[in-house]
Amino acid sequence: MNPITALMKIFYICAYVPTDTIVEWISDMFNLSIDVLLHLPQYTMEFLTVNIKPILQIVVLPGLLWVIVYAVIAVWFERKLLARAMLRVGPYYCGGRAGWLQLIADFMKLFFKEIIIPRDVNWLFFLTMPVLLPSVPALAVILIPFDANWVLWDIGGMGLPMFFAIAGIAPLIPIFAGWASNNKYSFIGAWRVAYMYISAEIPMVICGASVAIMAGSFNLVDIVEAQQNMWFFIPQFIGFVIFFLGVFIESERTPFDMPGAETELVLGWRTEYSGVLYGFVMFTEYVMLQAWALLFITLYLGGYNGPVLFGAVTASHIFWLILKFVILVTIVIFSRVVFPRLRMDQMLKLGWYYLTPLAILNLIFTLALKMWGVY
Amino acid sequence: MSLIRKLLKPFMIVLPHVFRNSETVAYPTERPIFPERYRGRHLLYFDKCISCNTCARVCPCNSIELVDVEGREGKYPQIDYQTCSLCGYCVEFCPKNALEFTEFVEFSEYDRSKLIYSPERLTTVPDLKEVLPMLKWRTEVYHTETAMKYRKVKEV
Amino acid sequence: MSEPEIIPDLMRVSWGPQHPMSGQTRILLDIDGEKVHRIIADLGFTHRGIEKILENRTFLKGIVPIERMVMADTPNIGIGYVMAIEEALGVEVPERANWIRSLICEMARINSHLYAFGLQVEATGYFPAVFLWTTVDRAWIVDLFAELTGARWSLNFFLPGGVFKDLPDGFEKKVIEGVHYLRRRFQKYWEAMVENYTFEMRCNDVAVLKPEDAIRLGATGPVIRGSGIPMDVRRDEPYAAYGDLDFKVITEDACDSMARTKVRFHEIGQALNMMEQVANEIPSGPVRTKVPLFARAKAGEYLSRVETSRGELGVHMFTDGGMNPYRVKITSPSLRNMYVFERLAELDEILMADIPVVVNSIDPWYLDSDR
Repeated sequence: MNPITALMKIFYICAYVPTDTIVEWISDMFNLSIDVLLHLPQYTMEFLTVNIKPILQIVVLPGLLWVIVYAVIAVWFERKLLARAMLRVGPYYCGGRAGWLQLIADFMKLFFKEIIIPRDVNWLFFLTMPVLLPSVPALAVILIPFDANWVLWDIGGMGLPMFFAIAGIAPLIPIFAGWASNNKYSFIGAWRVAYMYISAEIPMVICGASVAIMAGSFNLVDIVEAQQNMWFFIPQFIGFVIFFLGVFIESERTPFDMPGAETELVLGWRTEYSGVLYGFVMFTEYVMLQAWALLFITLYLGGYNGPVLFGAVTASHIFWLILKFVILVTIVIFSRVVFPRLRMDQMLKLGWYYLTPLAILNLIFTLALKMWGVY
Repeated sequence: MSLIRKLLKPFMIVLPHVFRNSETVAYPTERPIFPERYRGRHLLYFDKCISCNTCARVCPCNSIELVDVEGREGKYPQIDYQTCSLCGYCVEFCPKNALEFTEFVEFSEYDRSKLIYSPERLTTVPDLKEVLPMLKWRTEVYHTETAMKYRKVKEV
Repeated sequence: MSEPEIIPDLMRVSWGPQHPMSGQTRILLDIDGEKVHRIIADLGFTHRGIEKILENRTFLKGIVPIERMVMADTPNIGIGYVMAIEEALGVEVPERANWIRSLICEMARINSHLYAFGLQVEATGYFPAVFLWTTVDRAWIVDLFAELTGARWSLNFFLPGGVFKDLPDGFEKKVIEGVHYLRRRFQKYWEAMVENYTFEMRCNDVAVLKPEDAIRLGATGPVIRGSGIPMDVRRDEPYAAYGDLDFKVITEDACDSMARTKVRFHEIGQALNMMEQVANEIPSGPVRTKVPLFARAKAGEYLSRVETSRGELGVHMFTDGGMNPYRVKITSPSLRNMYVFERLAELDEILMADIPVVVNSIDPWYLDSDR
């Protein structure tokens, strides 16, 4: 706008809008803002007491604090447990003889390190993929019900398919990251990720479908409520085994961590990352494990069902879910020290030769049980 | 089935190791007691040495040189620990047993010239507490039926 | 050194010196997806010129650098050189010294095989648990060495004419105690790792080396014994009391990586039996015959062969009447086995994920192959 047009506009406003309306408008604004400022504490308290539960869910459980504190404790626990199995001590000096502050020290160190970007990488993908990596499984965590009415993202009838949809995005990110790194080791790691996830997700989705058939709905709360008498791993024992292997495969834990196999490819698709990006990439392994382990418990191990302690229904449900989760995560972490890793062709043979036909068998078995009214 | 046995047996064998004590020596608060024949730093006795030059001739790394010492007659060995490999020939072949091994192995210095030990410095071995101020225990190894463990023996 | 050209349409990956598992070597792989079409070993990172060093040292002084060729079983290499010197100087070794030499060589063999076994298990899956357990067990052997000789790894205990010192008091009892302890640990290793389902999946039928190929390419040590051929210098040309000790030469018929690992595993058992026999039956007598410090040898050519834990080591020494040898040529077992490793890509189908398993089943020590 040139100054002449601006001057003409101001002239029109001053000519057509009467002055006292402007003064009134200004004084109204003034009074309103003083009013808001004086009543601000009262407004905040009302907001909090009405919305206390969603805020608790977002911030604490199963939201921000749960994911972060779990990852910190899980890494510390893994290092200590594996060190004990190897007859070593583990983190010792940082934080008074148990080393629980070691994680914070490591993260701070990573934060201050330089992010080295190699010359010929595709910097858009290289820098953005690690940021997406922990976010996607964290998005899947908030679907899991911790109690009948403690679900953060209450979709209702679309819970299970939404989880699998989000999990379907998860393999794409390491593939982009590995390809963008412009490094032979990363490239090999990237297509190993592709092979592995594709061959593992198909049997798992079929098993998820069989559980949904058995429970009668896709809503995760309904699936848990249907397991009040008998947990689903008894009638669905084949699916139990398949999904248990799936938890290892999807979170890239030993014995299925060949995309990041340190003896052959130096960290696979994660090779070129340093600094904070490396922190994100390492953090994501635990978030993926959390998402799939929680789904596994919800589908097969009864979710939050368990005897009610001291009459507090919600708190005891949350307690039982966390207890089962801790035991499962301990088993998954410990098997890192017991088993070597599989080769790529053995993993593909496992996925396509054994798991997929078994999953279809499981589906037929479930349909038979349902048709004959046994369950 | 042998498949199940091969999958579960490793778990059952690795699991008890978690509950054993760790087989580490928390150096520098603990330090093991080395055996008698251990080849550490040298210890020189002035009155036994006859300056025969055997140790310098037999050293495979050419680390020994005989130098003058003020206040004494004759020449005495000076050992350069940058090249000494602690092989033991000088101790073994000295005709008067003037050189001996101790169990002191903390050689670190800030300055390379300090690693050439003059004969006066070779005659005394510093106390361990001066070099390792955090030292509290000396440990030794002992065997039980199923494990090899370290136990604290002496408080420093 | 120029390397061969890349086969067209393949990718050349350098399993190279900056790698968590490769050791001090660079192995170039031409791969197509997962299948390896050609392996080129680029050795020479740790060449120190030991053969040249030995030309400038007298016979006694030369034992110290040559022992640093392989750090895991130093006595087995020291004894090769010492036997060549004894032949050159014409020195007779007393019987008790020979038995002590066998004891030390067998302990070092256990040391080296435990290290190799731990590395093999680590190569399949990077879980250093077994590697650390073997480190703990090796700490027992290394402590025994410290009591006997004064050093833990680079023993320097042999000299022309015998060994330095006699066994200390109570040593035989400690040896027998340790033998019983290690035998119990082996049962655990066997059940936890060798009969582990995933370990078998990784090591069975990987890199099969047929017997005729092994002989043609010149493999040695556990590599050729894992293909069914009983070649062992301790049995063919006994030295240092091996004629009196009874042991079996272990061979396996499966010819794959698992067979080579099992050969090493069972050889530890045989070494334990030999240690027990030495501790019970060692004869008494002197341990050293006096040899002048700076002796001169007659001019001539002298040859000695020993069996180290990686294979057969040969020392070929030329002397010209001076205090130093004129030329020493050492054939190292790891170099011969690395040649076999290069040809394995043509003999059998190897995938890229198998490379650490195969390398550690052949068990080279790169300081040994480069000298």
